[in-house]
Amino acid sequence: MSGNIKSKRSYSPKLNRKAWTFVLPGLALIILFVFYPMIQAFITSFQTGAGNQLTFNGLVNYKRLFNDLTFRKALTNTLLYLVIQVPIMIILALAISSMLNTKGLKAKGFFRTAIFLPCVTSLVAYSIIFKSLFATDGFVNALLMNLNIISEPIAWITHPVWAKVLIIIAITWRWTGYNMIFYLAGLQGIDDSIYEAAEIDGAGAWQKFKSITVPMLKPIILFTTINSTIGTLQLFDETMNITQGGPANATITISQYIYNILFKYSPDFGYAAAVSYVVVVLIVILSMIQMKVGDKND
Amino acid sequence: MKLKRLAAVLLAGTMLFGATATVSAEEKAADEITIWAWDEAFNIKAANVAKEMYAETNPDVEVNVVTMAQDDIVAKLNTSLASGSYEGLPDIVLIEDYRIQGYLNAYPDEFAVLSDIASPDEFAEYKTGVNQVDGKMYGIPFDSGVAAVFYRTDYIEEAGYTAEDMQDLTWDKYIEIGQAVQEKTGKYMLTLDPSDLGQIRMMLQSAGAWYTDAEGNVTIKDNQALKDAINTYKKIVDSGISKQVADWDQFVGAFNSGEVASVPTGCWISPSVLGAEDQSGKWAVAPFPRMAENEASVNASSIGGAGWYVLKNVGHEDAAKAFLKDTFASNVDLMNQLAVDINLVSTLKASSEAENYNKGVEFYGGQEIFKDFAEWTNEVPAVNYGEDTYAIEDIMTEVVQAIVGGADVDETLEMYQTQIEGAVAN
Amino acid sequence: MTKKVLRTFQYIFLSICAFVSIFPFFWMIIAATNKSVDVTKGTLMPGSYFMENLKAVLSSDLQYTTAFKNSLIISVVTTILAMIVSSAAGYAFVIYRSKSRERVFNIILLSMMVPFAALMVPLFRLFSKFNSVPLLKTIALNTPGAVIVIGISTAFLIFFFRQNTESFPKELIEAARIDGVGELGIFFKIFMPTMKSTYAAAIIVTFMNSWNNYLWPLIALQSPERRTLPLVISAMGSSYTPDYGMMMTAVVLATVPTALIFFLMQKQFVAGMTGSVKG
Repeated sequence: MSGNIKSKRSYSPKLNRKAWTFVLPGLALIILFVFYPMIQAFITSFQTGAGNQLTFNGLVNYKRLFNDLTFRKALTNTLLYLVIQVPIMIILALAISSMLNTKGLKAKGFFRTAIFLPCVTSLVAYSIIFKSLFATDGFVNALLMNLNIISEPIAWITHPVWAKVLIIIAITWRWTGYNMIFYLAGLQGIDDSIYEAAEIDGAGAWQKFKSITVPMLKPIILFTTINSTIGTLQLFDETMNITQGGPANATITISQYIYNILFKYSPDFGYAAAVSYVVVVLIVILSMIQMKVGDKND
Repeated sequence: MKLKRLAAVLLAGTMLFGATATVSAEEKAADEITIWAWDEAFNIKAANVAKEMYAETNPDVEVNVVTMAQDDIVAKLNTSLASGSYEGLPDIVLIEDYRIQGYLNAYPDEFAVLSDIASPDEFAEYKTGVNQVDGKMYGIPFDSGVAAVFYRTDYIEEAGYTAEDMQDLTWDKYIEIGQAVQEKTGKYMLTLDPSDLGQIRMMLQSAGAWYTDAEGNVTIKDNQALKDAINTYKKIVDSGISKQVADWDQFVGAFNSGEVASVPTGCWISPSVLGAEDQSGKWAVAPFPRMAENEASVNASSIGGAGWYVLKNVGHEDAAKAFLKDTFASNVDLMNQLAVDINLVSTLKASSEAENYNKGVEFYGGQEIFKDFAEWTNEVPAVNYGEDTYAIEDIMTEVVQAIVGGADVDETLEMYQTQIEGAVAN
Repeated sequence: MTKKVLRTFQYIFLSICAFVSIFPFFWMIIAATNKSVDVTKGTLMPGSYFMENLKAVLSSDLQYTTAFKNSLIISVVTTILAMIVSSAAGYAFVIYRSKSRERVFNIILLSMMVPFAALMVPLFRLFSKFNSVPLLKTIALNTPGAVIVIGISTAFLIFFFRQNTESFPKELIEAARIDGVGELGIFFKIFMPTMKSTYAAAIIVTFMNSWNNYLWPLIALQSPERRTLPLVISAMGSSYTPDYGMMMTAVVLATVPTALIFFLMQKQFVAGMTGSVKG
């Protein structure tokens, strides 16, 4: 797409200066409010001690990570959520938004609003309702048993594996509509006449989706993928509110572990910072891979 | 040049709201104190009643009471104290017993010594184990978390037992009754939440034990009380008398809708029990069961509970201490009033003399529950919770799940001893 | 024939998604009309307790209406400023693409990646110094400015605008330059109106994030009369004996503004709307 912008250009000094003025306000705010604290946090990650009793201690925190079984658990859980949940959600959101973009479909406004509603539903309300729907004697088990899909009720919240499944269902439920918005917006940039031309050539719905929608939306798909990756690696709300990381840390995420180290246990700011930087490194690597894949044959 | 316009828009935007905002950073008057606590229906009401009583004799002192979620208080306190910034911090703050040792250790110069306004022997003994460091008292004990068995008299009777049988309970007897209840009424005896080790914690304290010893060392292996508690827990689960719940509202929902025959927990659950007005007269309260196989275990324990602490460097240490001295540290009238207003079971020893502590409560069939709670409170074994209760417990849930699932108790405890030691090492 | 089958499938699929999405929302509203005891018992019938719950919310010591106002001010101002600042940066990274700016963009992306909890203490320490600098008092702790200023420029939004600018027809810029329109003029008068659907999505998401923002307002805002809605709702839920009916009423009211913004903005998501301007 838009091949010309990829080519290298040179700008007149005046235009170049103007270009920087567009970037500058945003950049300045990010440097001050994100990079400055980031550096501070990095320094803290070499300190140990409770509360404000911090002293420099070299790599002790980073070494501690290797023997920390809870950290290992949080890391594997988080990566598991990432690998399973992000693709499901991205595909679902893409499918829904391209359906909502087809001509002649009725009640689009209703469907759009309905599918967006999970974003508005309060976290408090939805964690209560999820817990009651997925209780052992709850609605979901009753439904599955009536449909003869299962013969024994599933312990959604208290079984270590099913609890993870529940978390994945919950995140998908809450964030699919959110990603849908980005796609709906992006789809408006695709000219109708392209679809019309394809239809004349006899292209079916799947073909149009595969050879027009997906390639045209590539920048947005890249955006949502990276964004969801970051969101999942920093996942906190769902596990905190639905399972509290339980049963027995089976659903705990890295972000929740950081929160616990900071506030639930005796506050250990140095160790929390060290754990955070592991997350940063992970996200950087994953995003770089995604960018590489996303930029290919562009 | 156009950047200037952009910057102007930006600045104007922030100014607009800044202009009204800056006024708020007003200086606090010399005798104005702020109190932070959680739970509008309980702690906040208590603080407000104390404020009113204090105002009668000290009309010139302004007291602000602020409601915040407990997690929020913890987050704010930690962020501020770690930053060395006292702006906006309260003078008096309510802190949970399980957490306070962690604070006193992490921020040693931030809390005021209260030994000059109160003495440990004026309070239930078990409450003062946690708020002292080197013999100095840093907190005023507040609510009792004395444990009890709230039970449905109608279900118990239907199962063929009497109120007499509920006294001096052992866990074995409790399970026996539970099985009878289940057989006769089809109801569960209690709810259990696999992510919440409250029951284990109560059993431990009934034997005067904890996950750590008095010096703060992790004692998971060779901890007889812990072993007994986990075995008892497993017996309850295996007997099938417990209904599994996943959180607080399911826990409350279960007894409000009559699904369970008993609720073994802290006395602070009473207001939630009272919530189901249609069950009035059908409830009674019995002492907490003991573990028969453990010699040290008594029919009294505790769960939860908190105390009031003064932040030294915020600027109103003296006013805050004066306030606590005349209210929560000594005032029996206040405790008498709070028994009615919020069902508070005070840990101030003198309050058992208060008028309202000797009145029957209709909902509980006329039982004088406050008198009972106050009596049991004084029998709770003192335990120093140390500073790592929550960190240890997050791992202990794994341990308990494994053992309930069939793993060997001794082996599992030994295996986790090192892991837990590693997790709490600073 | 197959087209009909496909259409039917689409309706069925979307209806299932819609039902699953709506249900918890529906339950939240039902709960708001019931007494707390009935909510914990799990009723699904609308009750007649809404007015009592509403009264309890409005008369609470937690100053619900004040918090609503604070949230509204913070979210509206954040959204407006963010739309200008973040979109300008995202726009420039594509329209004036250069190696150095590309590098700067990558660095900005990096700022998305640190868990916020890790930044809180240093950020708080930084803000606590602003009170003594006259010029910075507007964004000092305990002012709405302290919350707003954090949300104006985010890597997330800059990234979003950058990705969407890729599909912006560059011919329009060339044409405008020939007509003598300045660079700022092009951005405000040509880019912004053309990218309505992008702005609509950005407004929805920014408003929502700002409206639900929790950790930073919790730390930055101190006095009760400054608090935002999520903080007040959190305080309501802190009870040993929570009043679920009242809480659900509080959260239902709190969803209205975001729902409204979505409802107003979603009109921009109509197929082919910007198609006509493309070559």
